[in-house]
Amino acid sequence: MTKHEIDCERALKQLFEFIDQELPEDRRDEMQRHLHTCRSCFSRFEFERRLKEKLGGLGKGEPSSGISDRITKLLSSL
Amino acid sequence: MAILKKAFENQVIDLLGRMHGVACRLTRNDADAEDLVAETVARAWRALDTLEHEAAFRGWIFKILHNTFLDECRRRGARPQFESFGCEEPEEGEQQFSVFEQMHQPFLLWFSNPEQEFLDKILRDDLERALATLPEHYRIVVILSDLEEFSYSEIAMTLAVPVGTVRSRLARARGTLQKILWQQARDAGLSAAPPARHECEDGKADTPRPATARQAARANKDWKS
Repeated sequence: MTKHEIDCERALKQLFEFIDQELPEDRRDEMQRHLHTCRSCFSRFEFERRLKEKLGGLGKGEPSSGISDRITKLLSSL
Repeated sequence: MAILKKAFENQVIDLLGRMHGVACRLTRNDADAEDLVAETVARAWRALDTLEHEAAFRGWIFKILHNTFLDECRRRGARPQFESFGCEEPEEGEQQFSVFEQMHQPFLLWFSNPEQEFLDKILRDDLERALATLPEHYRIVVILSDLEEFSYSEIAMTLAVPVGTVRSRLARARGTLQKILWQQARDAGLSAAPPARHECEDGKADTPRPATARQAARANKDWKS
């Protein structure tokens, strides 16, 4: 490999593991270097990262008072 | 016993919103979700001896929640779609559906960004609807990874499957989720761009037909606006 050390095919193959922070350090570094030089892969990375971020926003809800009361009662009866 | 009752209560209260959110998305029904959380807490208390250390509480209680959900499905005679998926590894060369691949136009990079505009227009309701449409065995991995930020090994522990299965199931789940979002957008008036070509700075790039891509980008700008 000349410019990127890894090619686009490999970068895309491990993109989600990179976004999910599941890559070991050496592969994370090679991904970062590739993303700094390949606009197309960087655009894909940005898209997938933002979609994951949007999905993450769904998870941060407060429990309803109904479930809170029910579980509080349950816990005190244990 | 790895923790005392007070610590158990505190952990449950801290995780209640998360547990309820996951339960709602699994059962797709608020009353069933409340029952699932209550049953999970009761079971967890009875199984407290199986918790090895307090730091593992989150994965441990979500595993109980998941198993309780499966048991309830079995009790009702509904076969959960999680089970008996023998072949999880993607086949050689298998490509997952990608909204990015559908929309990205390399030559437009400096002028507009159709795929980012697509994301800008996605509402919370669109995501919830797409998530609810996913088959259960895909929905749970997306929920645990993207909503609850579990690591692959935590998901593997929660679902009692190998890490490799988590990786491949997540890939397929994300492809399916994007296909659903894409279809929703098409139904709402998004027009398709011509297939994107990958353009890397090392040369070998195909260029789409400019006129067609420009037209598609213009049409998509008006989508849902």
